[in-house]
Amino acid sequence: MSTQIIGKPQDRVDGRLKVTGRAMYSGDRQEENLTYGYLLTSKVAKGLIQAMDTSVAERSPGVAAVYTPFNPLKLYHGLEPPEGATSGETLPPLQDQKILNYGQIIGLVVAESYEQARDAAALVRTQYQAEEPVASWEQGIEHTFTPESVDREKATVKILAEGVDSIDDAIRGSPLVVDVTYTEPIYHHNPMEPHATTAVWHGDRLTIYDATQGVISHRLNVASVLGIDEDMVRVLCPFVGGAFGCKGSMWMFSPLTAAAARALNRPVKTILTREQMFTLVGHRPALIQHLTLGANPDGTLQAVKHDVRSTVSFAKIFVEAAAHRTSRLLYKSPNIQVSHTLVRWNVGGPTFMRAPGCAPGMFSLECAMDELAVRCGIDPVELRTKNDAEVYPGRNVPWSCKNLVECYQLGAEKFGWSKRNSIPGAVQEGDWLVGMGMASALYPAHRNRASAKVRFQADGTAQVSSATQDLGTGTWTVLAMVGADSLGLPIAKIHTELGDSALPSAPTSGGSASVASVTPAIQKAAESAKKKLIQLAIRDRKSPFFGAKIEDVSYRNGELTGAGKSADFGSVLSGIGRSAVEAVEMAAAGEEEEKYAFHSFGAQFCQVKVNRWTGEVRLQRMTSVMDIGTVVNLKTARSQIMGGIVFGIGMALMEGTILEEKTGRYANANFADYLIATNADVPYIDIHFINKPDTIFNPLGARGIGEIGITGTPAAIANAVYNATGRRVREFPILPEKLLPIGANQPMISMSERS
Amino acid sequence: MEQATDSGPDCEGGSSRRQFIRSLAAISAGLTVAAPLGRAAIPEESIPQTAPPNSGSGLGLVRINLKVNGNTRRLFIDPRVTLLDALRDRLELTGTKKGCDRGTCGACTVHLDGRRVLSCLTLAVMAKEREVTTIEGLAKGDELHPVQAAFIECDGFQCGYCTPGQIMSAVACINEGHSGSEREIREFMSGNLCRCGAYPNIVDAIKIAAAKMKGEVS
Repeated sequence: MSTQIIGKPQDRVDGRLKVTGRAMYSGDRQEENLTYGYLLTSKVAKGLIQAMDTSVAERSPGVAAVYTPFNPLKLYHGLEPPEGATSGETLPPLQDQKILNYGQIIGLVVAESYEQARDAAALVRTQYQAEEPVASWEQGIEHTFTPESVDREKATVKILAEGVDSIDDAIRGSPLVVDVTYTEPIYHHNPMEPHATTAVWHGDRLTIYDATQGVISHRLNVASVLGIDEDMVRVLCPFVGGAFGCKGSMWMFSPLTAAAARALNRPVKTILTREQMFTLVGHRPALIQHLTLGANPDGTLQAVKHDVRSTVSFAKIFVEAAAHRTSRLLYKSPNIQVSHTLVRWNVGGPTFMRAPGCAPGMFSLECAMDELAVRCGIDPVELRTKNDAEVYPGRNVPWSCKNLVECYQLGAEKFGWSKRNSIPGAVQEGDWLVGMGMASALYPAHRNRASAKVRFQADGTAQVSSATQDLGTGTWTVLAMVGADSLGLPIAKIHTELGDSALPSAPTSGGSASVASVTPAIQKAAESAKKKLIQLAIRDRKSPFFGAKIEDVSYRNGELTGAGKSADFGSVLSGIGRSAVEAVEMAAAGEEEEKYAFHSFGAQFCQVKVNRWTGEVRLQRMTSVMDIGTVVNLKTARSQIMGGIVFGIGMALMEGTILEEKTGRYANANFADYLIATNADVPYIDIHFINKPDTIFNPLGARGIGEIGITGTPAAIANAVYNATGRRVREFPILPEKLLPIGANQPMISMSERS
Repeated sequence: MEQATDSGPDCEGGSSRRQFIRSLAAISAGLTVAAPLGRAAIPEESIPQTAPPNSGSGLGLVRINLKVNGNTRRLFIDPRVTLLDALRDRLELTGTKKGCDRGTCGACTVHLDGRRVLSCLTLAVMAKEREVTTIEGLAKGDELHPVQAAFIECDGFQCGYCTPGQIMSAVACINEGHSGSEREIREFMSGNLCRCGAYPNIVDAIKIAAAKMKGEVS
């Protein structure tokens, strides 16, 4: 690994396409003879469709077809998680009249223009036999159940010290106890690019342009729902306009669009509306988290108990592993117990959303730790340092490369944590109360089996290809950088290919795993391609190296040297009349998985001011220190962390989907009412990296980076709000009305104690 | 009405935007019950000799000239078609993006006679005989506009989907004289959402580009 390229700030290789409007997203596809699909969605959350009158819509100008449960397109049940590459939606639409959530697909109108399809859709009349939906925690009580597993462990994980019978005994034996409950609403990913599918058939072969985090997985899932062989499907997705998890699974509008295109023998493009994005492509489930921390007076943890309840739909199970991925492992404690139960609601299917499990879990754990710090009267940084876990609790394996305490120290120094006044409400600036808060950040490091191709070309360039994706994460650039680094070539000489299911297989870009998974395959393929190049050079009569021994010829920085000669690979290839030489290699994690635990860590520090009269919270500054192994591209890595933090600002202060109990309808399914952070909400963010390579994890030493930024951010903000006002808001998001009135009463430090 | 489509700060755009949406709804309602409409809009030169069945080609369409990025394009257009959909679906200028179609995200920002407007809230027929500039018309050949170059330099985007709108808004923000401070930039760029969270880098890019553009002018 050379330090010439890796770790330097590199402009995105796709930057020019993106700033000139020439980057083609899935909805941008223009096709000959194209038609437009517009989805019909249900207006009740539970019940049956009794009848649909499509006659007016069908006669509407330009309409090619109206598909409904009464005029369906045949679709098959989707693959279950173990069969499919990712857990997608499995229930095919239009195959029956059953309604399980508001906004469910009940039809597809296809017309010559978007306007004609949209307006014809408005002319379809649907009669329902509606039932009262399950759309609240209270209604959900009788639909509560325990999942089979959570994050590959049991639904309840108990780690108890010898002689301790139960976690409750351990809590009872603790001198100090913090016992708190936090709730979170449903959150929606809301990438700026709505999901889009353009389906084009050539005979019985389907080409589908789709906004997806996984072209390989999408191919498998679409093929299975259409009932065709996956070899007949090609998925293309060179650019994804943001995803954050909601493009990680296949959603049914995509094969439905393809089925319509097959039936009509014309290309069909379906783009979801923003409102449809709320009900058709997943969300982060609502959660209730109950945390009980038992500690000695000096803050040493004696017991950690974290019970999570999260919502699922009636059609799809997804476990938001908020305790199993956080309290289960972050701190050292002789007694730890985490548990999870699920509650069915009549909503669309939940799915992974940026830092699944960790984002909500770290919110409650890190707020509870702050409450414990107050309870013990010690500094929050000191409390965390004191309870740092050296080994993975219950497994007793070390982490491959953990530098969390260094994150705390560096963060505290850069932020100026020593200037914090620990007394809530003590710092005031006019009408504003100022507070500082901090939290840890945490996300598991994943690595999956991936393949890549490296190809030397006669024109002196090289190509790096893999069926991975760039969600805005910078994969295009990282592929070029790692290719350039492996081949000793300038980045300008590297062409990259991704987002095409015809390329060597790579995993879905989720779980912050793409760089960690794909780069080892590129490095391996580069070495194989070099070997093949040398073999070719010594065997061909027209090559200057003809007849040389293989061990005498070496490759370095694009040049072959040996037998007293040297020549660049381009001239060698053109000299022997070959256009290219290439190698495909696969790489996967080995037995290190048994011996180590793999996580990224970090520390988040922030300062807020809270308006005394309006309760408005303004984030003033933020410092983030991340321990994510090798930083591959300093520029995009910084952006990724920044983006995670901005997501966390929204989660803490403004986001949340409002579900109407009576109707099961989302009341704020648009950008005017579902508020995400705007430019004016985001201050300067100071980002630092520990940058220690985790070479046990993979040769490059790079762990994932896309998700960890959101973790810890909401808790750091909540803790800063407490420091500013003395108010603990345990019901996210922290809206102004939850803080009011400020100063009218004593700071609300409510912690129930057990003795 | 032009003023109402300005994607500037909420304090200026709020009530007038609502008024605008109301008037737009009235227009659409009036027109959709009019004559049966065929294929919604097609460049005039490409109207087929024989219309496909049920397409009703030509009926109810409005003939307009759209001047986009300096080129005049003649269109037979369904009056329901927004400027955004006209650009994307009829003129193959897909650089301008649809993020919400409701005027709440800014991804569709283009310039109309030099002012930033939300093309999803502007009917194509309202733009006839006026100068439309889109992201595709910003660079001079291979030479990027200073704002485009600064967005690359400062990594003012990740996924790139909001980027055309951000850049069109940023150019206008600078031209309007609203790039005087970081705070002012943040305020006047808050009509453009970025879910990837590139905001601080966008502010940096605008500062750099504004300085460069000032230098070029003086």
